[in-house]
Amino acid sequence: MMMRTIVVVTTLVLGAGAGMAQQDAVKLAQDTMKANGKNMGAVLGPMFKGEKPYDQAAVDAALNQFVDTAKKLPTMFPDSVKDAKWEGDFSPSPKIWTDKAGYDAKVASFAKVVNEAKAKVKDLDTLKANFPGIGKECGACHETYRLKKG
Amino acid sequence: MLRRIFLALVVAAVIGGAIFWWLTIPATVAANSLPAYTPDPANGLTTFNAGGCSSCHAVPGQPDRLKLGGGLAIPSPFGTFHSPNISPDPTDGIGRWTEAEFVSAVLKGTAPSGAHYFPAFPYASYANARIEDIRDLFAYLKTLAPVAGKVRDHDVPFPFNVRRNVGIWKFLFADDRPFQPDPARSAQWNRGAYLVNGFGHCAECHSPRNFLGGIVAAQRFAGGPNPEGEGWVPNITQKRLADWSAKDIAFFLETGQTPEGDSAGGSMVRVIRNTSQLSAEDRAAMAEYIKSLPPLEGPPRPKKAAKS
Repeated sequence: MMMRTIVVVTTLVLGAGAGMAQQDAVKLAQDTMKANGKNMGAVLGPMFKGEKPYDQAAVDAALNQFVDTAKKLPTMFPDSVKDAKWEGDFSPSPKIWTDKAGYDAKVASFAKVVNEAKAKVKDLDTLKANFPGIGKECGACHETYRLKKG
Repeated sequence: MLRRIFLALVVAAVIGGAIFWWLTIPATVAANSLPAYTPDPANGLTTFNAGGCSSCHAVPGQPDRLKLGGGLAIPSPFGTFHSPNISPDPTDGIGRWTEAEFVSAVLKGTAPSGAHYFPAFPYASYANARIEDIRDLFAYLKTLAPVAGKVRDHDVPFPFNVRRNVGIWKFLFADDRPFQPDPARSAQWNRGAYLVNGFGHCAECHSPRNFLGGIVAAQRFAGGPNPEGEGWVPNITQKRLADWSAKDIAFFLETGQTPEGDSAGGSMVRVIRNTSQLSAEDRAAMAEYIKSLPPLEGPPRPKKAAKS
């Protein structure tokens, strides 16, 4: 009886732990994407459009965040979040798991572009040359691997 | 008595059949109705980009958007369509088509064989196009590389596979009047209205459809369920886009970036690949028109917390 109780309790605890890990993974993915969006829409975008003055420190922070994202992306959508609840407008497409090779290729392409941007962007002109390419990478992956729910 | 009822039924069936036949005759544009014209392939390229032709007709899974061998599978509630080859290949593409056949296809949705095209080909929007723009487009397509390979047939089950029935659909939902400029508006607004409603065919995805697949006119541009299946197409009237300036809309059409820093996803990515090739003036015109769309409530969106 004692043994059985231990097994049951352990299973429950582990199960709850897995649920927590799942929600943590969902939160990490959403927070990372939101931060990326903020960098595109509130930091780099306005400089690109000439609405805000060029600010190298802010540009570096944004590009570092993208480089960091590129490192997280290969493991950002573990099998455990397949059936997770995604609050908000978007959810990952099942294609992330059914077409892993295609997803990995998009991630590698994003990593290349943001690392190059980090090395090259030193002033407004180089920002203007690199900004559209970053946006294209976002879209290229969202085209296939993200679903819009509402 | 019975005989008389039978006769009446036969007569009714014949009349009904004749009306159906008459209503569903595919419309064409006769070659001799086209005035003499020297096409401008440069404007044809603009038309090509505004029309988003390559979104569906480029060979999928490869980067060249000018390789128009078709083959994209387009799912719908009525079956799966497979976009045809519109490269200038003489056997598998449109290489042997006459100009009038091409104009009939784009403007009237009628194939050179005389059959109706399915409205997955957005001719209900293209009907707004100027004939000169279509003739320029034909000249431009002729300059592209031929791509060999015939595309498979559509997977569309009965009764939707009866092409003659499409004539009824056209009668109900396709407006064959050309675009009418609004003289009270600016030239830029009218250019935008022409591009958005004509070649741009934005309403084809950004509007809800009824059970027969016709656009719900009262909710044009108000978004709805994705006709290709999963997900939702956003409302692009001021109901949803009030926070976007015309400049934001133009920037989105150029880069796919929203003012919030999000990027376009799904089929819109393919659309941006085309609109990014348009001139800044044309994008600004489309933006001005879209910004002017009065707020319209679309169909209810699914609950946000819905399980993925």
